[in-house]
Amino acid sequence: MPEFDPVTYAVPVFVLLVLAEMVWARRKRPHAYEPRDTLTSLAFGLGSTVAGVLFGGAILAAALWIYDYRLFDFGETWWAVWWAWPLAFVLDDLLYYVFHRMAHRVRWFWASHVNHHSSQHYNLSTALRQTWTGFFALSFAFSLPLILLGFHPAMLAIVSGFNLIYQFWIHTEAIGTMPRWFEAVMNTPSHHRVHHATNPRYLDRNYAGVFIVWDRMFGTFEQERPEEETIRYGIVKQLGSFNLLWAVFHEWVGIAQDVWRAPWKHKLSYLLREPGWSHDGSRETSATIRARWEARRGGGAGKPVADENPIAGSGEPA
Amino acid sequence: MEIPPALLQFVGSLVAIVALAGLAWWFNLGPARRLESEDDARREASEAVDGFAPVEVALDRKGRAGLLRDAEGHILLLRQHGTHFAGRVLTRAASARIEGGALVVDTAEKRYGGARLHLDEPSAWVQHIESIKNR
Repeated sequence: MPEFDPVTYAVPVFVLLVLAEMVWARRKRPHAYEPRDTLTSLAFGLGSTVAGVLFGGAILAAALWIYDYRLFDFGETWWAVWWAWPLAFVLDDLLYYVFHRMAHRVRWFWASHVNHHSSQHYNLSTALRQTWTGFFALSFAFSLPLILLGFHPAMLAIVSGFNLIYQFWIHTEAIGTMPRWFEAVMNTPSHHRVHHATNPRYLDRNYAGVFIVWDRMFGTFEQERPEEETIRYGIVKQLGSFNLLWAVFHEWVGIAQDVWRAPWKHKLSYLLREPGWSHDGSRETSATIRARWEARRGGGAGKPVADENPIAGSGEPA
Repeated sequence: MEIPPALLQFVGSLVAIVALAGLAWWFNLGPARRLESEDDARREASEAVDGFAPVEVALDRKGRAGLLRDAEGHILLLRQHGTHFAGRVLTRAASARIEGGALVVDTAEKRYGGARLHLDEPSAWVQHIESIKNR
C-alpha cells in the first residue's frame, strides 16, 4: 500500500505563496491582511494537523474495516489500476460538494465548518483556516460510499489531499477572473469569493471543491458581480474576536446552550436544522436574509438569485 | 536525545506561523479603518446587519465605534475589529453607563465585549439603550 501525503509536500509552497501574497498586499491592498487574523488562521491550520494526527488513526481503522465490505474489488495492486485514480478524484470531488453543502445546511456540520468562514478577510491564510473538530462533525462519513464501492481508503486520502491543495490557491483577491473556459468548469478565486461572502445574494452558494460544474448542475451557482456590489467576507454574525479557542468552539458552545434552553420537542432541531434556525423564529437563516433582501430590491428587479436553488427558494432546510 | 519527527514538524510550523504573522505586522498590513462620517457608519451597519436602516447615528470622535438606531428602536453597536468592523444589535441584556464623559456600552456578550465611545450626547444614548429593556 503506497504511503503518500501530497499535503505534506505542499506546505512549504503554501508558506511561500502566503509570503508572496503579503508582498502583493503591501504594495496594492494593505487591508487584505491583518496580523492577528493571519495568526489565528495559521494557528487553525496547525491545530487541524494535530487533530488529524489524534483522530486519523481511528478514522483509517474504521475505513479499512468498511473496505472489507466493498462491492467491487480492484485487486491486490489496486494502485496500479490507472483509471481508478481520475475516477476517484472526480467522485471524491462530487462527494466533497455534498459534504460541503450539508456543512452549510445542517448546524451540527456547520459547527465544525464555520471555522473556515469566520475570518472577515479573504486571503491565502484563510485557506489554511481548517477545522479542529471535523472528527466530531463526522466529516469522514461522506467518504463511505466510495469505500463501499471499492476505492481503497489510501487512494481516497491521496486524491482528497490533491483536492485540498487545489482549493488553496482560490482563496485570494489578487486574482480577478481566469479564462472563460476555465471559469466554466473549474472552481476559481472568483467563484470561491462568492462562497465566502456574506452579501445576501451570495449566501449558501458555490459549494464546489475543484469542479464548479457541480454547482451549475445542482442549481447552487452564483456569479460574482463586483460591478454591482462590494463583496464582504466572514459569517452573518461576525465573531468580533481574535480569540483562537473561541473561534474554534463558538458554534459548538452555541449549540449546547440552545439545546439546553430549548423545549424538549425542539432540542434535536437545534442540531439538525440549518444555521440560524430557531423554534420561535427569532433568528435569521440565510433564506430569510435573502428573502428580505429580495423584497427590498423590489422583488423582481433582475433575476432572482434563488430561483435556481430549491433549498433557498423553499425556505426549508435541506 | 532524538526528537520525534512529528514534534519537529510541529515546532517548525509554529515558527513559520509566528514569522508570517510577524511579517504581516512588519509590513504594516491591516491598518485600522475608522468611521469618518455617518455615511461610513450606515454602510458598515448595512454590512453588519443586512437592511439595517438607521434614523439616528452617533460616532465615536476617533471613529473607532458607532451607535445607530432604527425607526423601531433597535440599536446597533459597531466597533473596530482589526481592519474591519463587527456589529451587534443590542439586546435587553445590554447596558450602558457614562464614565469620565465617555459612553461605555456592554453588550453582555462576553467574547464580543463592548465599546467605549466619546460622543456629544452620551446620556441620550444611555436612555435609548435602557429603553430596550422595556420593549
